[in-house]
Amino acid sequence: MLDDLRYRSHALLHHKQVEDELDEELRFHFDKQVEKYRRSGMSEEEAKRRARLAFGGHEQVKEDCREARGTSFIELTLDDARYAFRQLVANPTFTLVMVLTLALSIGANSAIFSVINGVLLKRLPYAQPERLVRIFLSNNEYPKFPLNPWDFLDFRARNHSFESMAAFTRGDVQLSGEGEPIRLNGFGITSGYFRVLGIHPQIGREFDFQAEVPGNGLQAVISDRLWRTRFGADPNVIGRKVTLNMQPFTVIGVMPRGTEHPGNVYHSLAYGESVDVWWPFSFGGNSNQRGSHFIEGIARLKPGVSVEQAKAEVNAVMGQMAHEHPNGDSGWNVLVIPLYSEVVGATRQMLLVLLGAVGIVLLIACVNAANLLLARASARQQEIAVRLAMGAPRLRVVRQLLTESLIISVTGGALGLGLAFGGVRALVALLPADFPRAHDIHVSGPVLVFTLLVSVLTGILFGLAPAMQASRTDPKQGLKHNTRTTTTSRYQNRLRSALVVAEVGLACVLLIGAGLMLRTLLNLIRLDPGFQEDHVLTASISLPHNRYNSGELTAQFFDRLAAKMNALPGVESAGAGSDLPWTGYDENAGGFNIEGKKSEANQQTHARYHMATAGYFSAMGIPLLQGRFFTEGDKKGAPQVIIINHAMAAKYWPGEDAIGKRITFDDNPKKDDDWMRVVGVVGDVKDQPNSPGAEPSFWWSEYQASEPDMSIAVRTKSDPRQVADGLRNAVHSLDPELAVADVKQMNQVADASISTPRFTFVLVGLFAGLAILLAGIGAYGVIAYTVAQRTPEFGLRVALGAQPGDLLRMVLTQSVRLAVPGIVVGVTLAMSLGRVLQSLLYGVHPADPIILISVTLLVLIVSLLASYAPARRAALADPMSTLRAE
Amino acid sequence: MTEKIELPQGTLDLLILRTLLPGAQHGWAISERVQQVSSEVLSIQQGSLYPALHRLERRGWIKSRWGTSDNNRRAKYYELTQRGRNQLELETEAWRKLTVAVEQVLEGA
Repeated sequence: MLDDLRYRSHALLHHKQVEDELDEELRFHFDKQVEKYRRSGMSEEEAKRRARLAFGGHEQVKEDCREARGTSFIELTLDDARYAFRQLVANPTFTLVMVLTLALSIGANSAIFSVINGVLLKRLPYAQPERLVRIFLSNNEYPKFPLNPWDFLDFRARNHSFESMAAFTRGDVQLSGEGEPIRLNGFGITSGYFRVLGIHPQIGREFDFQAEVPGNGLQAVISDRLWRTRFGADPNVIGRKVTLNMQPFTVIGVMPRGTEHPGNVYHSLAYGESVDVWWPFSFGGNSNQRGSHFIEGIARLKPGVSVEQAKAEVNAVMGQMAHEHPNGDSGWNVLVIPLYSEVVGATRQMLLVLLGAVGIVLLIACVNAANLLLARASARQQEIAVRLAMGAPRLRVVRQLLTESLIISVTGGALGLGLAFGGVRALVALLPADFPRAHDIHVSGPVLVFTLLVSVLTGILFGLAPAMQASRTDPKQGLKHNTRTTTTSRYQNRLRSALVVAEVGLACVLLIGAGLMLRTLLNLIRLDPGFQEDHVLTASISLPHNRYNSGELTAQFFDRLAAKMNALPGVESAGAGSDLPWTGYDENAGGFNIEGKKSEANQQTHARYHMATAGYFSAMGIPLLQGRFFTEGDKKGAPQVIIINHAMAAKYWPGEDAIGKRITFDDNPKKDDDWMRVVGVVGDVKDQPNSPGAEPSFWWSEYQASEPDMSIAVRTKSDPRQVADGLRNAVHSLDPELAVADVKQMNQVADASISTPRFTFVLVGLFAGLAILLAGIGAYGVIAYTVAQRTPEFGLRVALGAQPGDLLRMVLTQSVRLAVPGIVVGVTLAMSLGRVLQSLLYGVHPADPIILISVTLLVLIVSLLASYAPARRAALADPMSTLRAE
Repeated sequence: MTEKIELPQGTLDLLILRTLLPGAQHGWAISERVQQVSSEVLSIQQGSLYPALHRLERRGWIKSRWGTSDNNRRAKYYELTQRGRNQLELETEAWRKLTVAVEQVLEGA
């Protein structure tokens, strides 16, 4: 075995020497044979002739010897590669066009695949992530809702489907002490939260059940990042105190790097290493009051338990709970959703559409390459005929041509990979800010394998048909000298035209897709959001309960801040609200009673609630429709007031004047204080940029409700960034220990909300542009080729009296004849694919006539442009040279 | 001219190995020798001789070296290796068994 290997590698490494020696050996044999015949009395001539006959094909013997040496496959391949390489270098323009178009399309595919691989294919970084599920509640009003803490405890105690179960809820904390205070993303978690995820602290431990008891909560688990930046990676950090929300917390654990937050819904924080502090969630209060929903469940399925089984079981538990607590727990369904779909589900459709689009680009590039190869194969008929006549088997010719296309495609792939490195960086920069797993997107091992595979498959795909076609060359036909009139078969011309039609069709599909994305994006940009996003600076401030322990203190702080801001030059108005539009806030209040109206049993009232100060609405640019804004007079002790949006007025007081009407959350209101009076109606702000309208909402006066976590809004005359320092100074002059977080402009928030459709449009548009360019090159290739073929015919036509204009028109018509069926194919295909896009579209039908007409026109223009140069050449056909040649 | 018969499959290797048993030979001599000894009944086509030599060498049963022929030309000589000798014994025995068995069937039937 080893000898065998040594022999083969020797034969390979010393290929030239071995071949020379074989030559010498065979010549020796031949001479001996001639000598033998001479001795038997033949003439020199006769002896040589006989010896040659006896010897058979010299080349064939050599080929057989190579085979016997066991190195023929590699040697043949090297041979083919050398041959192919010479051919490619001899036709630099052809090679360059092929390699570059393939590099672009393979590179685009590798880049998109990098995203797919990082986001969809790579496993989530938890132990056995396929067993992790998220748990939500659902009813008609709220399709996906957090849990009530007591519900969670019941689920945890009663289920048999989960190996472990935990809950978590967003609660950012303010870190102070040394340096400027900062706000950290924080989560309250139950014990066992990290055990469910399968991540262990690198130092210390996570919270035990003791920490779930109210009063035991001054403990913290911190992220690796915080440990390094704030504690200098001190290995003895366990037991140290850290000031969070102005209270001393004891560090009990440090999580390792790569501890990724699984994403959440309530006050959502994107998936990723986005959390710095975890604090213990404690269960306090009355376990019979179950109306408040704000913690989210996560659980690990027992081995062998399916999501469906678990769902059935927890719904049965929910049924028991509804029986025990009919007030809070009835009417809910439990959702059990695999963590994977929860994290990447929303991006899946978009990524698959992008993969489809970029796949179409590659397909077009393949068709293009096949077409170019076909054209060249007819130009090479003579060369191939010679090889066939010399006895090369047809399979060998196919192999040789395939080697050529493989060299082209693999070179293209290698260049493409280089492009992908840059492309991936650009893609990640372009990704929407909350895109999950963006940091997992790299050109990694699987991407390399994918690229190699795609390159090889591409080479075979576009190389095989032309190679088979060429190997069918008839040596006799091909060897006839006059290459100019060498007749390409009708079949071949039809094949090439069909390929162009296919190319144009595919490009149409992408153009229509890009058109739909563009209209979606424009529709979203043109939407009236219900507020004025320009010239608004926003920030968030959270008042620690320790220092701001009364409603008066809280209200006073925001009041003073607004006054300080209003005094700054350039500030038009300033205020604070519980939330900013489109930032994931979703607080709901249900079951209020409306004065003078009977509540219907099955029709529970509900509205979103917010808090706001006097200046909030004018700072956000939300118009007042009726009544008034809040004033400082709407404080504790004064009559309770609310401001409602137009949707709430229309829903609960249709056709009436809502001002002065009252609602209450009290089931038996006795005194005036139990009622809240509507003092103003403001315009609707869309819940999401693409939602059809707004849910009913109302605002409490911050002076009465005293919400400690508020967003600040400052409307300025010019660039709002100029007041950012002013805002920080104002806050710190009131309280130097407060962190000013999330300082940005409102139009950044608005911008982020359309970043996904923009991302999709930019990419699909880019691919569509590439596609139509490739299709144009393809059409040009075919037209130019047929014009070259028909030059004698054109010459004759001119000789017979045709005008240049006639010839020009003839060629342009031919091009349009290729484009029209392409457009028909493309539109039909796009219609059947429209459904796939539906969820990514806004305000535009997949069969939008404006888009179809513009795409048709665009394709016609491109096809005319592509054929213009060849048509000019045809029009200039010289009758004399034709007549001379014939 | 004596009638020549086709070599049965697999016997070419045996013939080459046996021909090399007395000592090293070049390709032409091997084919001449087989033809002579078999009284011109067996002849090895050059087209099969050289691929066979390369194959045997790859298997390590023979080895080659360059030497000088009787008329002072460089020629490639092949000789048996120890493994080649063993193989020759094995194949000779197998061949004998085969021919005896075939003979018996022909007689007996």
